[in-house]
Amino acid sequence: MSISIGRRGAIVAAGATGLPIASHAQAPDPKRGGTLVMLGASTRHVNPALQSGTPAGIPGTQIFASPLRFDDKWNPLPYLAESWVLAADGKSLTLNLVKSAVFHDGAPVTSADVAFSIGVIQKNHPFKTMLEPVEGVDTPDPHTAIIRMSRPHPAIMLAMSPALCPILPKHVYGDGRDILTHPANTAPVGSGPYRLTEFKPGESITLARFDRFFIPGRPYLDKIVMRIIADAPTALLALERQEIVYIPYVTTVRDAERLGKQAHLQVSDKGFEGIGALNWLAFNCAKKPLDDKRVRQALAYLADRPRMLKVLQGGKVPVALTPIHPGSPLYTTEVNHFDYDLKKAEALLDEAGHKKGADGVRFKLTIDPIPGAVETSAGVAEFLRGQFKRAGVELELRTAPDFPTWAQRVAGQEFDLATDAVFNWGDPVIGVHRTYLTRNIRKGVIWSNTQSYSNPKVDALLDAAAAEPDPAKRKAEYKEFQQLVVDDVPILFLHPFPYTQAAHKGLKGLPTTIWGPMSPWDEMYWEAADRR
Amino acid sequence: MTRSPLARAAGAFLANPAALAGLLIFVLMLAAQGLGPMLYGVDPLDIAAPPLSPPDGDTPFGTDYLGRDILAAVLVGGRATMLVGLTAAVLSVSIGTTIGALAGYIGGRADALLMRITEFFQVLPALLFAMVVVMLFRPSLGTVALSIGVVSWTGTARLARAEFMRLKGLEFIEAARAEGATDARIIFRVILPNGMAPLIVSATLAFGGAMLFEGGLSFLGLGDPNVISWGLMIGQNRSYLLDAWWTVTFPGLALFVTVLSIALIGDGINDALDPRSINH
Repeated sequence: MSISIGRRGAIVAAGATGLPIASHAQAPDPKRGGTLVMLGASTRHVNPALQSGTPAGIPGTQIFASPLRFDDKWNPLPYLAESWVLAADGKSLTLNLVKSAVFHDGAPVTSADVAFSIGVIQKNHPFKTMLEPVEGVDTPDPHTAIIRMSRPHPAIMLAMSPALCPILPKHVYGDGRDILTHPANTAPVGSGPYRLTEFKPGESITLARFDRFFIPGRPYLDKIVMRIIADAPTALLALERQEIVYIPYVTTVRDAERLGKQAHLQVSDKGFEGIGALNWLAFNCAKKPLDDKRVRQALAYLADRPRMLKVLQGGKVPVALTPIHPGSPLYTTEVNHFDYDLKKAEALLDEAGHKKGADGVRFKLTIDPIPGAVETSAGVAEFLRGQFKRAGVELELRTAPDFPTWAQRVAGQEFDLATDAVFNWGDPVIGVHRTYLTRNIRKGVIWSNTQSYSNPKVDALLDAAAAEPDPAKRKAEYKEFQQLVVDDVPILFLHPFPYTQAAHKGLKGLPTTIWGPMSPWDEMYWEAADRR
Repeated sequence: MTRSPLARAAGAFLANPAALAGLLIFVLMLAAQGLGPMLYGVDPLDIAAPPLSPPDGDTPFGTDYLGRDILAAVLVGGRATMLVGLTAAVLSVSIGTTIGALAGYIGGRADALLMRITEFFQVLPALLFAMVVVMLFRPSLGTVALSIGVVSWTGTARLARAEFMRLKGLEFIEAARAEGATDARIIFRVILPNGMAPLIVSATLAFGGAMLFEGGLSFLGLGDPNVISWGLMIGQNRSYLLDAWWTVTFPGLALFVTVLSIALIGDGINDALDPRSINH
């Protein structure tokens, strides 16, 4: 149940020493047939080239294939590209495409489609840093695509992942109509294992097996129905009653434990390293008294995260110490742990000139918890209110009725403290840099540098690491980055989101690679004959 | 027949066992809110025991999702709930009486206009309207009380209007007018005291209703998150209902008992002031 860093670390180490590792657990002979009725999420369209997030990403990765996919140890695997070469200078990536791949309309997948798709993503996807250095894609023949970059860009490998690089057919999406409003965004044509048969906005998304999928024999399921249930408790009950048989993202430990006790269900906490979801406490570094690093450090010493997690999560979730998700190979624990220290906190606050008043109060702050499960939002705020009070810092909760209200306050930089849920998205260049770069302080944009954090050394380190082809040097740069940011406390990192996937026990081949549910489900199958 | 009307009403009230029980319970609840925290001596915001501990010797009502003592919170939470209820009831009765009195006394076009306004508020779903009012501002005790007051005055307005229409045609009003009394004097000094009985009952019931309303808003996450109230406790803990019944049961019971006692008091006043019950 718990997310164990130690176990994961051991697996990575074993991979590095070249020990033989069995690929993810798979029964010897998967069987064809059956329908998967599961929990879906509301989305305007299913084209992940234009939009990030799991609601479009989950159906999108079934419909569209990508150049590469990844295993559960961050290693790239062939997908549409049967082989690839990253040039020695790190400035070009050659993709050799499989020759048998066809789109759902029967047209072959060619390098022109790859070039077109990368252009669309670069222009429209919200993750601007993901393909920033890409200058163009050469297509010397229909099955070779060469991505040219202005500088080494190691993140290019993870940028080829299923949810981030869907290959769109140029003859459909490149017909001259505006891609953002293209009708094929809701009636998509891809080359993935399943094709879309019905899209009912707000209600359901139905997929059917694509019989000419380029991996022989796959996929195994005949049909997938993604039923949209907006209310989380209702969805959990539906799973317990077997009205649905799969929930890809169960968001609380409590729910996962309850589901795990059901005889007919299986739960797994594997498959969430890629998105790397972190829960954190953001400080508005542009606002007094939080513009003083000592004040932020004092609050970090008061927070007592291990106790917070013991209280709120039953001790079943580890502390995330840094901006990088504990599931990433780049994560380091060699940073200031800010263990609870009331004396140190009081000394820092005194030093910063915030002596206790006659009423025992130093200053007051407000906190905006992100609307969501109590134990990851309002509960965190309530816990911190008690902790901060010990040193004379009053914390006032400002709850938002809905996500847009909260997002407006945080994006508008009109907050003191806020709890926030932010995703790493595989490579730090894609999902981490945006929060810390000085040039990404953009008022009104949620999940930009809303903390107004600025440290020229951090900026320089991030720019260097983004272009560092040597993995060891890159890792060292990210280590220093983590140490600097943790010490500056623009954000107090709390914990990785305790995601789990829950499914009927008879469903085998659950997606447990680093991208988990946001990767093709061509290996999923029903074990029991009556389900097929 | 030497007793004053007030003394007679008080006697009738005290002779009514249900009303007396209501009054006793209410006084007990008030005392618990006033003295309870001092006697119990546990800070309701402190983490006292492991989260979601069931009721036992240390924490008689158990603990909530953060491990805070529920008994301590129940003993404090009624203050905010009662304060909001009282403020909202005063607000609601003031608005309702003013509008109803003007409509009933002036009559004609003013009556038609004021009653259309009343009907407009009456057909709005009260809870939804109150939610919008709270969402427009920041949830705090003040905005919650305001929103409840603003949506719940229509019944009082209709009641006041009927009383004023009934009374304004009676002879003693004509007499007052013949003496040269101004409209304001007639409304406030002559009609209002005579129409007070149903309004007092209505105010009492509005008090209980507003407390329930506050509970409803808090349950939906729209209460003031910085002040403990029974509604907030129920709202915050409702997702733990299946695992820890005590987290919502005790604040819920406290709210139920208090509102019930107020309703009993209201009924008792109604019976005591009803002229038809004098001869009983």
